[in-house]
Amino acid sequence: MTDMLVALFHYGMHVDPSNIAMPTRDRFILSKGHAAVCMYIAMSLRGFFDFEEILSTYGKIDTHYGMHPCKVHLPGVESSTGSLGQGLPIAVGMALMAQQRKEAYRVFCMMGDGETCEGSIWEAAMYAGSKGLGNLIGIVDRNHQFMTRHSDQGFMKLEPYEDKWRAFGWNVIPINGHDMNAIADAFDALPQYDSDRPTVIICDTIKGKGISFMERQISWHSGNLTEEQMNQALEELKAAHMREM
Amino acid sequence: MSQYSLGDIVNTRTLIAQTLLDMADNDPAIWALTSDCGGNMKSFVEKYPDRFVDTGIAEQNAAGIAAGLALAGGIPYILGMTPFVTMRCFEQNRSAISYQNLPVRIIGWVGGMTSTGGSTHYAMEDISIMRSIANMKVISISDPLMCASVLRSSGNLEGPIFLRLTTAKADPVIYSPGTQSFEIGKSVLAHDGNDAALFVHGGLVQRALTLARELEQEGIHLRVVDMWSIKPLDQRAVLDSIEQIGKIVVWEDHFMSGGLASAIADFIADAGVAPQKFVRIGIPETYPGFGPYDSLLCKYHMDAESVKRIVRQIVS
Repeated sequence: MTDMLVALFHYGMHVDPSNIAMPTRDRFILSKGHAAVCMYIAMSLRGFFDFEEILSTYGKIDTHYGMHPCKVHLPGVESSTGSLGQGLPIAVGMALMAQQRKEAYRVFCMMGDGETCEGSIWEAAMYAGSKGLGNLIGIVDRNHQFMTRHSDQGFMKLEPYEDKWRAFGWNVIPINGHDMNAIADAFDALPQYDSDRPTVIICDTIKGKGISFMERQISWHSGNLTEEQMNQALEELKAAHMREM
Repeated sequence: MSQYSLGDIVNTRTLIAQTLLDMADNDPAIWALTSDCGGNMKSFVEKYPDRFVDTGIAEQNAAGIAAGLALAGGIPYILGMTPFVTMRCFEQNRSAISYQNLPVRIIGWVGGMTSTGGSTHYAMEDISIMRSIANMKVISISDPLMCASVLRSSGNLEGPIFLRLTTAKADPVIYSPGTQSFEIGKSVLAHDGNDAALFVHGGLVQRALTLARELEQEGIHLRVVDMWSIKPLDQRAVLDSIEQIGKIVVWEDHFMSGGLASAIADFIADAGVAPQKFVRIGIPETYPGFGPYDSLLCKYHMDAESVKRIVRQIVS
């Protein structure tokens, strides 16, 4: 998911950190609001926010960078989110306005696969499909994990996942969400904003990717790193990054 | 000149549709949304199909889409039945709309028990839950022209507003057209008196005016205050009645707890003022069952005769 966030703000979306209210900018809604810190960092790398300010204020009283994003506290964020399942309907409203005003921007909405258990996601998906919102791009972080369980344990079956979106009238692009080339190809393959179908990019991902003690571990849905764990994580990420280079 | 006169019976839903159409003519930001409750919106749909959203029976979706439209510069009006536009999408109303202080207007008809459809279709908690939302204004409409006036002035107001109506199919004009300005936060002194003060809202205001005139015949002078703006509350009107009269009755088609009576009780407790008498008339904590509206009011001792009885008791 972090890969996708970096790619969105550096490649996939038309945005300008020096003009955050630019009317033609693409809009981004982080429906899985608990991933806010990753979004802040990805946006700071693109020049939206001051990286040092995030580091020095995160988790402190009156920070702009909350655990879940808040537009009121942080201009540059398109919508406050946090309660799961609410992002896609908001994105649909924005896309509908753009369609009605014939404005040439896209609305991107990143969801977790877990939150697509919420009915409001499918209410919005059905509406977007029936209105042919070609300017709406859903991105699903398909990490096969909920907060307390792996989704393949059978208590709530999401499969056939791609077919579900197709049945709601969406154009589906499944990719490996950790493959930067595949992510870029998916952006390149997006239909024009005025096409007649919304698109969802389903990113197959591994939660905690690249950090051995975190990968696919339910206990690392959220948590605090010890100094030792942090150093290990950084070493492992560095090693993986170097390999890829 | 208004086309309406005192006492005219108006289909408020149709008036809302006409008003929104007029507003949409003058403001491209106006949108109308509904979840399969847009039967009166035909003229709007014909003229502005691209600014009308019908999500089907999906209130959460309508509330979320309204938030997105408002974030993109729109002024969305959601139309539907009060129990569903307040409760089904309560969290969207709070977290998607009000948290961001977005100018979404939520218009709900069949407030209280007026639908007679049973407790699934009664709105007995709506004022309680909507006034608990930070930034949300809560309005209870007593007069169709009040509704049109509030809608027209709502275009430029910051933040979300909830408007509660009765069945809204046949509402009397209770205030002479042009005589009231309907400013949010200000009540209407509907009938003056100095023996007791009756605070009331919505469709019961019309009944309160009738019973106040009947009590005049008995020599009882009842003040009727139309508290149509429940949040913000007209605190001055409450203080005036406590200081000048001291005997307060609150009558509403809502649970006795959480609605206007609670809003007034909260205020006077915090203000440190104590009325001589404070009586609530409303729905007790129950699921009221079925029946004609008047019979339901009688069953729970919240009909006009019950109100008169209580007023007689506290003034004697």
